[in-house]
This record gives sequence, C-alpha cells and structure tokens, in this order.
Amino acid sequence: MRRAHHGWRFRATLAGIYAALVAMPHLLSFSQKEIAVFLVINVLVVVSYRLLTLTGEWSLAHAVLMGVGAYASALLAKRLGVPVPPAMLLGAAAAALVAWVLSFPLFRMKAFYFLIGSFAAGEIIRLCWKRFREPFGGPKGIKLIPSVPDVEIGGLEIAFFDPVNYYYLCLAVVTLSLVVLHRLEHSRIGLTFHAIHWQDRLAESVGVDTRRYRTIAFVIASFFAGLAGALLAHYLGTVNPNQFDVEAMVYVLIWVIVGGTATIYGPILGVAALTVVNEIVLRGLGVDQARPLVYGAILIASILFLPDGLESLGPKMKRAFARIRGPHGQP
Amino acid sequence: MTMQLFQKKIGRRTFLGATAAGAAAVGGLAPMPAAAATRTVRIGFLAPLTGEVAAWGLPGLYGCQIWAEKVNAAGGVRIGDDVCTFEFVSYDNEYAPEKARTGATKLIFEDDVKFIMMLGGDTWPAVQPIADKSGMLVSTLLPSDLSPDTGTLIAPCEVHPIYNVTGVWWLADRMPNLKSAVICAQDDALGRPSVATYLAAFEAHGIEVLDTVFFDLSTTDFAPVMTSMLSKNPDILCLDTAYADYVHPLCEQAHQQGFKGQMISCTADFYEKIVEKTSKEFMEGFIFQFPDFDDPALGQPGINFDAPGEFYAEYNKRWPGEWGAVSWEYASIMDLWVQGAQRAGSVEPQDVLAGMKQGGVGKHAFGDAKWWGKELFGIDNALVGNWPVVVIENGKAVIKEMRNIPEWWAMHGDLLVKHFTEMGEMYHQRG
Amino acid sequence: MRAGAGPPAERLGARLFGHNDLPAVRAGGSPSGSMIELLLQTCVNAIYAASFMALIAVGLMLIFGVMGVVNFAHGELFMLGAYCVVFAYADQSYPYFLAVMLGLVFVGGLGIAMERTLFRPVRDNPLAGLIVSIGLLLILQAAIAMGFGVRMEHIAPPTRATFHPFGLDGVVVSLQRLYVIVGAGVVLGALWVFLRRTRFGWALRACAQDPEAAALQGISIDRTARLAMCIAAAMAGVAGALAAPLVRTWPYMGHSVIVTAFIVTIVGGLGSLEGAVVAAILYGFVHTFVTTFSDGVVADIVGLLLMLVVLIVRPTGLFGARERA
Repeated sequence: MRRAHHGWRFRATLAGIYAALVAMPHLLSFSQKEIAVFLVINVLVVVSYRLLTLTGEWSLAHAVLMGVGAYASALLAKRLGVPVPPAMLLGAAAAALVAWVLSFPLFRMKAFYFLIGSFAAGEIIRLCWKRFREPFGGPKGIKLIPSVPDVEIGGLEIAFFDPVNYYYLCLAVVTLSLVVLHRLEHSRIGLTFHAIHWQDRLAESVGVDTRRYRTIAFVIASFFAGLAGALLAHYLGTVNPNQFDVEAMVYVLIWVIVGGTATIYGPILGVAALTVVNEIVLRGLGVDQARPLVYGAILIASILFLPDGLESLGPKMKRAFARIRGPHGQP
Repeated sequence: MTMQLFQKKIGRRTFLGATAAGAAAVGGLAPMPAAAATRTVRIGFLAPLTGEVAAWGLPGLYGCQIWAEKVNAAGGVRIGDDVCTFEFVSYDNEYAPEKARTGATKLIFEDDVKFIMMLGGDTWPAVQPIADKSGMLVSTLLPSDLSPDTGTLIAPCEVHPIYNVTGVWWLADRMPNLKSAVICAQDDALGRPSVATYLAAFEAHGIEVLDTVFFDLSTTDFAPVMTSMLSKNPDILCLDTAYADYVHPLCEQAHQQGFKGQMISCTADFYEKIVEKTSKEFMEGFIFQFPDFDDPALGQPGINFDAPGEFYAEYNKRWPGEWGAVSWEYASIMDLWVQGAQRAGSVEPQDVLAGMKQGGVGKHAFGDAKWWGKELFGIDNALVGNWPVVVIENGKAVIKEMRNIPEWWAMHGDLLVKHFTEMGEMYHQRG
Repeated sequence: MRAGAGPPAERLGARLFGHNDLPAVRAGGSPSGSMIELLLQTCVNAIYAASFMALIAVGLMLIFGVMGVVNFAHGELFMLGAYCVVFAYADQSYPYFLAVMLGLVFVGGLGIAMERTLFRPVRDNPLAGLIVSIGLLLILQAAIAMGFGVRMEHIAPPTRATFHPFGLDGVVVSLQRLYVIVGAGVVLGALWVFLRRTRFGWALRACAQDPEAAALQGISIDRTARLAMCIAAAMAGVAGALAAPLVRTWPYMGHSVIVTAFIVTIVGGLGSLEGAVVAAILYGFVHTFVTTFSDGVVADIVGLLLMLVVLIVRPTGLFGARERA
C-alpha cells in the first residue's frame, strides 16, 4: 500500500502539474477545450469509483448514481428555483441518499452477484426516468437546465458558458474532491477499506462490520459521482436517461481498469489517456467508422501488456531503466 | 368533392405565393457566368456515424455526398456574387450530448461551416446554447426539438409526425367501414409524438383507438407485443413510427398470428423484404408515408427534389441495402438551404435563415410548403405542405395521393393540440 | 380479422395491471375460449423467449465458471452467428441449415481462438477479462458494421410453416420459432449428458468448481478452458443463426441480449447449468406475460425487480452454492 509522501519533490511535481493544468486550456483548440471540461468531470467519476473498489466491490450503478446527481440538481434548479451551486451539492447528497437506500438490498450480495445486482438496481432507476415523464421528462429527459450564474470579481465578468471558465470551476471542485478522497483513503476508515478488500474474513473476525464500511464507501463514492453528474448537467444544459446507460458505465470501467486502481492517479491516467486517444488522436486520424475498432484493439493491447494498468508503467520503466544502467542497478 | 376542391384551391394559392416570393430561386442550377468568383462552402454534418443510432446518420451522409458531387460536377450554384461548391465536414456525435456540443464547437469555430445538419433528439439541447451564441443555423430531422427558444433551429424537410395524419385521412376516405384501431409504438422521442398524432387523426376520422401498446427499444421478440395488440380485435393495426427494424418483425408476427385487417405505419423501409417475409396478399394495401424515389408521381411538376429517380438509382448503386428515409432527407434539406441562400444572396447563417423563411414559404421536396408550427411547436420553423400517402400494391409501393397537411390542420388542428397535450408533447410541456 | 381473443382479456389486463384509460369494450368479439387462447399463445411466446435466453446464458455461465472471465462480448458471438446466416444463406444462397452449421463451427472456432489469444492471459482476473472482452466487442461490432452496413439485415424466412399446437386457431407458433425451441432443448440436453456422463464433462465441472483442486487432479485447465469456450461460443453462434430470421439482425444486436443473459446467469447461480435454465424460464415467462398484459417498458422494470428480489432473498442465486472471484 502506498502512503502519501509529502516531500519537497512530491510537492514540486504536484505544483508543476497544476501549473500545466491551469495553463492548458489556453493552448487548446476550441473543441479541445470542451473535451477538457468533460475530461475533468470524468476524472471525478473515476476517482470516486475507485473509492468503492478499495473495499473489493465493483458496482455497475455508478453511472446511474452520477445521473441521480444530475437529475436531482437539474430538477431542483429548474423546478424549485434553487440556486445552482447549492443545487449541485443537494444533487450530490441525493445520489448519496439513493446509494444508502440501495446499500440495504445490495450489500447482501458480494463480488459478481453484487456487480449484477447493482446493475439491476441502477437500471430500474434509469427505466423509471424513462417511464415517469413527470418529473423526469421521459426518454427525452430534461433540457434548458439553468447554468452556473456568471460572477463578477473586481469588475471581471466570468461567464461559465465559456469552456475555459467552466474548466477552472470544475478543476477547483474536482481538486477539492480529490483532496477529500485522498485524505479519506489514508484515514482510519480508508485503511479499513483496504483491510476489508484483502482480508474480508479476518477483518470480520476482529470485529469490523464489513457491511457498514462497504456502505460508507458506496455512499461517499456516490456523493462524488452525483457531484460530477451535477457539474455535467449544468454545463450541458440537458440530461437524458441514455447518458447514464450501461454503455456509459462500461466506459467508466474501461477507464478505471486500464488506468489501474492501486493508486489514486491510476484511474486519472486511464481516463486522460483514453480520452485523448479516442477524442483527439483517432478523430484526427480520420478513421471514422473504424474508430471503435481501433479503440477496442488499444484496450486489448493495454490489458495484455499492462495488466496492472497504466499506473504500473512508471515503476516498470524505472526498473527497465535500472536494468539498462547495468550491474549496479537491481536485476 | 368539396374537400377535393378545397384542396386544389389551397394548393394553387400556396403555389402562387411560392412563385411570387421565390422568384430569385428560379434557375438555381443554371450554367454560371464565367466572371463569378468560385468559393467552397463547408457544411457541417453532426450526427451519429457509429454506434446504435448510426442508421439515422450515416445513410444521410452518403446521400449528402451524392448531392455534393452532383452539384459540384455541375460547376456549383450561384449564391449572390459567388459560385459556390460544397464540402461536407462530418463529426460523429455518437448520439451523446457532450460529443454533440464538442462537435458543434469544432464545426463552427474550427471548420468554419455555414450550416449544420443534425439528427436532433437527445443531442440538440446540448448544441442549442452554442448555436444561440454563435447564431449558427442548424437543421433537425425531429421537429419535436422545436420550441419558442430555438430561433436558429429549423425542421425544413422531415415534419414528423404531423404528416402521419395524411395516411389516416386517406384511409378513412377510402375505407369508411373500418372503425377501430390498435397502436403500438416504441417508447421514445419519435414514438410518443407520433402516437399523439395518430390518436388525433383516428379521432378526427371517427375511428376508435382500442389500445396503445408501448415497447422498449431493446425489444427483440415481438410476438407478445402482437399477441397483445390482436387480443383487442382491431380493424386497423397501426405501427406508429416504429423503426424499420421493428416494422419487419411486427408485420411478420401479424402475418403469423393470422391478422387479416388493414395496416398503417409511418415507415416501411425495405418493404419488399417484408413482402418476401410475409406474402404479397398480406401486405396488399399497407399504408405508409415514404415513397420510393423512382415513383412516377415524383416526376410530376411541383415536386422540388431534383431528379429523384436518378438520385435513388445512384444511391442504390453505391450503397445497396442502405436506402431509407434519412438517405434523401439530409440531401433535400441542402436543396432548401441553397434556395434560401440564393434568395438572401449570402451563405451567412442568419441571412440564409431569413432567405429560407422569406415570404413564409419554401420549396419542400414534396411540393411548395409554408413555414408553420406556432401552435404545436411554439415557433414557425417547420416547413409543412404536401405529403404523399403511399400504399403497397402488388408488392410495390405506389404514391396514391399527395395530401395537404395544413388543410387537415385547418379542420382538425384542435384535436392534434389536445392529444399532444395529453401525451405531454406540447412545446411548453417538454423538458 | 383474427378470431378469438377479445374483451375478457382486456378486462383481466385492466384488473391485473391497472390500465385506467381502457376504452369501452367492443361488441363483436367471440368471448368463449378467447382468454384461454390468449394465455396459451403467451405461454408459447414465453417458451420461445426462455429457450432463446437459455442458449445464451448457459454459455456465459460456462465461460465464467471455468475461466473466471466475464465475457462481455458474448452478445457479439450471438451476433456473429446471425451474420453467418446473413452471409451464407441470405447473400450466398446456401441452404439454411448449412448456414446454421457454419454459425456453429465458425463461432465455435472463434471461441477457441479467443481462449488462446485473449482469455488465457487474463484467466481468473475478471477485471482484465472484462476489458479484453469489451475491446473484442467494439472490434466485432465495428467490423460487422463496416462489412455489412449499419442497417438491419433482411433474411427471408427459410420456412413459413406455422403450427397450431393446441388445435386452436388463436394459438400459433411458426416453425422457425420451433427450431429455436427444439434447438435449445437438444443442445442443452446434450450438454447436460456431456457434463454428467463423460470424462471431459467431469473435468469441466471440476474446473468450474475449483480450478486449483482440478489441476491437482491432473486436469489440464488449458484444455478444459478451450473446450468450455468452444462449447459456449458455439451455443451463442447457434442461437444467433437460428434466431437470425426472427430478430432484428444488425451489428449492435448483441447489446439487447447480453444484459439479460448476465442477469439470468447470476440469478440462476454461477456454475449451475440447471440454475441458468430455470432463471431463463422464469425471466422468459415473467417478461412475456407482462409485455402482453401491460407493456414492454413495464416488463423490463418488473423483470429487473424480480431478479433483484431473488438476489436479495438468495444472495448467491437460485442454485449457486458459493462465490467465485
């Protein structure tokens, strides 16, 4: 298990990365700025998903819970006139609440049964959005969702319609969330998550209520998924049931697994690399209809050659480098 | 008899209006004077090209390519002082809102397109803010995207589902003895407004609807759906706007489960295959709304789609088995765009929009039509006029008659509003 | 006009499923026997739905049982089976059953290739297996879409014959549907015998129950996995080939079966052939009846709810004895 290092090197690297992230949108084309916004939101989706996987459980309801946040926040802002920022937090809370309710039936199951059980539960929620037009809007969903209100700081008008400004907003929210998730992982609760994952029976035998901790992980992960959904809804201005279907969930799984789940940066690496490949490189190549084909081949190759995810690339390269350096390095 | 007279009168008035307002459009494809500067106009094509909804986008892109090649080979068209040739820039939005937004941004700000054609539906609301801010003109195939706040969105070709009234209207005139119907529809943005339309049309013509059966898009087995429908013992089986993929198994099931009555549907793509799967006798008299483009009735004066027979033949040559409504609809929108640009003498989106709506009339593929929709969509951005009633006779689709939608609207518009309201499909009820 | 089913069905439907806006009962239908016909017809429809689902779900269960791989591309194997019929029967005009055999052999062969190249390296790593199979799913879908077009394929029915199994006019089943029902019965029966009566079957079951113990017994896991993958793929291929003239044959058809198949597999209990079959029958009947008497969307919700309830009551499925993975 990797503990947080707070040495100067780590801080310098982090500062460098953040400087790059802040400068980045100004180097991108118009459409790439849009992609950057969605990418930052998806980072929150995958990192929150990883929190649940720490306990060893894999859910297929994460995308739907993201949708719960999106729908709740959109409805609160649109129907009840709640200002957008608190609506987003309430949306996230709604996702957490739904997750808590679902935890009662779902955590009777484990492993693969939990995986499919969570899918069924999520799908029921999603079908309800489709079925009940009031208030969910049916298959077409909700549109004209209020956007984050423009703010004025010292005479400077910041309009969140502009992808660059929304990118900064998302970056701030997601950074804050990542700090919370990171702290949590390295707290007593987080260590218990790890313990449950690796030593389920043992943890139980020393009096750890595994079900309770799984529920905690599920609820917190869903809170942040809901927050991501709310960020998406108020930017796009529309939500519909198809956005959170099994295909969306499959993409979350792909990003997380290709990235790796041992560290917090694994899923981030996965979602960033695959988004760049799919949305920028493959579209740039003009492979058009063959895009899913090439993407599929990349997925297979990445798993066969890097079964522990992209996050294992760093240590691997370090080892290879050490080997090249010769007999002084480690074998 | 009076109805027929009325129809002629309307038709004639519409026609006169169109000729007066659209004088500039005459001779659009005439040879160019040598002096004019040539420029290439880029048109955005923002629709699903991969994934499950690709069948609603990709075949349309093929049609646009044929359209562009033909226009460019003729040397382009004259718009204002320039001679314009066309290039389509496509962006696969995978029917996902965020990808549609990204694609719209790319097409508008990076590719400098003058017009964007979309399928619409789930993807339109995410594009709407971009289109509003940039003033980009966008077309949709789903008029249910229209609302009072979509000023730059037009539905210039496909006025689904309003044209479905023409089929019921014709049926009621020809077969007054049929008095009951059952409707089945997929539960989506196409199916629901269409159900409202059929309910209104059946009510207008004194046909009782015994039941409406919704099915999910993921349905693979249509036997239970058909069993359920037939258990109501209807005279008429209405397949609503079921996709071709559903019309086929539904017809097969109706055939197998022994239905002998009348059938009506919005589409019947690849109907010859349905005939093959059932029988000529069974499909005889099947009413729908989409003609083959080699139909002689489309060679008549008043039809504005240029050389439909040739287009149909070329399309089938290049993409056998891919012909359907979307194959020609996007191309036909381009005809209307050119007409609007010529009227305006400019390719800039706002000018073209003004040009297209000039005089409130336009040359729709099936005849001159008027910009309409205020009562139903809250905005007059749908181009509505004649629509063909197509019937399968001896295994071949035949246009029986062109019927005028505004004329039906004048008689029964209130019923349409009533059923749209009940279905929650009025513009002020949506989303 | 179809004889039979009429008003009583409506009333029952209204009572059971709360249609509130049901129109007035029409005069003229023949009341006697029509409800029975409707019920019998729905049963026939349900038997078909269950057979079809069992063919796919049992294969999925076999792959998971022996290799610990969640084969998300199983729906695409079904799709390839259907496209074998499109290619051989509809395009090249070979006899239908030859095309079905092609589906069986080709998809079964593809299963062997998949096992060797894709699944063996990720065996017993369900997450890696999941991603590999999703990659394969994307490849197969795109390849077929590019090769055959994105629109649905048209397959003229190899047979138009229909039967009235109970001698009633209102109850009908087509021969093509009977092929699927009989095909499922034969294949599943043969598989059952194979698993119970042969050495291979014994090895297969041993691997599904405990791979390590099986290895200690001298069973080759590689060989067993290859066999399981071949059988499972061939079953999906046959299902696709037999159902091709009945369903919407298009590049994304796998999507609509895979989700249901997973649910059926899990509700039956992992590693249990009987469980998968029972769950398929349960799901087939519930879904078909609700579709007939209410509508398809409600049927999806009810089906999922039922499955969830089963899992809540029995968290390891109907016949599942233990967890794997």
